[in-house]
Amino acid sequence: MFDALTATHAAMYLGAGLSIGLGAIGAAVGEGYTAGAANESLSYRPEKSGEVLKNMLVGQAIAESAAIFALVIAIILIFSKSPSENYIIAWDYIGAGLAMGLSAIGSGIGSGFPAAELCRGIVRQPLYGTKLLTTMLVSAAICQTTAIYGMIIALLLLFVDNSSLALYPGWGAILGAGLAAGFGAIGPGIGEGVAAGEAVKSISRNPEASDVLTRTMLVGMAVTESTGVYALVIALLLIVM
Amino acid sequence: MDELTNVWQEPFSLFGYHNSFMTLNMTSLIMTWIVMVVLILFAYFATRKASLIPHPVQVVAESLINIFYNLVVDTLDEERAKKYFPLICSLFMFLLMCNWIGAIPMMAEPTRDLNTTLGMGILGGVISHYSGIRAKGIKGYLKEYFSPMWFMAPLNAIGEVAQVVSVSFRLYGNILGGAIIIIIGSQLLKSIIVPPALVMYFGLFVGTVQAFVFTMLTLVYISLKVK
Repeated sequence: MFDALTATHAAMYLGAGLSIGLGAIGAAVGEGYTAGAANESLSYRPEKSGEVLKNMLVGQAIAESAAIFALVIAIILIFSKSPSENYIIAWDYIGAGLAMGLSAIGSGIGSGFPAAELCRGIVRQPLYGTKLLTTMLVSAAICQTTAIYGMIIALLLLFVDNSSLALYPGWGAILGAGLAAGFGAIGPGIGEGVAAGEAVKSISRNPEASDVLTRTMLVGMAVTESTGVYALVIALLLIVM
Repeated sequence: MDELTNVWQEPFSLFGYHNSFMTLNMTSLIMTWIVMVVLILFAYFATRKASLIPHPVQVVAESLINIFYNLVVDTLDEERAKKYFPLICSLFMFLLMCNWIGAIPMMAEPTRDLNTTLGMGILGGVISHYSGIRAKGIKGYLKEYFSPMWFMAPLNAIGEVAQVVSVSFRLYGNILGGAIIIIIGSQLLKSIIVPPALVMYFGLFVGTVQAFVFTMLTLVYISLKVK
């Protein structure tokens, strides 16, 4: 029995699985990298264990938020009670799942780098803990910007009514929007993470230069993110046109 | 899931005009008022009978203010810090209370509603652009958009909008995700130990971290504009 109602239901469950299944990859890698760095740094200064553990948890909480976004989309997909007679809605659900799931990969991995460097920096410069923590929080939060673009595209696909769209070639546009937002977010997430990690490491080497380091990091991240913005623009165009 | 899907909304009309945007989210509104009352009471009790040997509430307020004043001085400079510090500190206190209020039974975080976070994000965005114009003049401000190359201007403009949107959705997504996990966790595992632990992690810990992140990002965006 395969009709439009079954198809939308199936797409809903498929989208939820894609969202959280793909979205969990990156955050777990990033958090594991942070935990590894915390262990490594404790081997140099075991007496700082309490402080390193605290900072590791803060870093992991930030890295996890990409996976939490994926969970939000998955739960919305499972519990939304609007299966439709229209095949185009089924593609909406799959596109939303792909957009959120793929876009969470890069940000999860990327946010792990500054968090790991924070753990290493705390044992190198215990006196500058607050400065390092602040830099880590800001930079790791900016790493997640592309995952947030993915979430915006997913929410738009879920809640903007495009049932009047023709099925052919409308399904291609919707799937393309999901893939653009998803794949476009992987690179910027990891790249911004590299910039953020190196900035935190450099501040832990030379805290006096933190002003110029933070500024360079922010400008570099903005340029890194521009490819993610291209993807967002194309995804929005595909949805709107 | 009823707590999340059934939102108490009140439509209203202005001078006989009404459209679907003119709706009040009563839960967020009431919770925001409660947060404001809590903050005003905190301010009242912190400053009442302020003395050289501080009483407990005064200690909390003074240490909070100290931490944030140093942060603002680090990011901006001494002179601008005096101007922007009240905004930054009260933004943090408001968001912190908004995120923490969900830990109390029968209460819902106002930040779970996109309208609250987007409002705060737009507030930060408008202030950063205004202070950029004030600091550099309209010419210097517009020059920033053409900064690496002239053809980057449209992308820079999109980037400005994306900053505001990403800041708001980050807070919204985290708080909503935490709320969903707490509700599902409490429904699946009807135990005493697990839901309070979930509330402690997602409500109090993640709430604090995200309130701080939102405040710091607003401060960083202001500093990027004025410097």
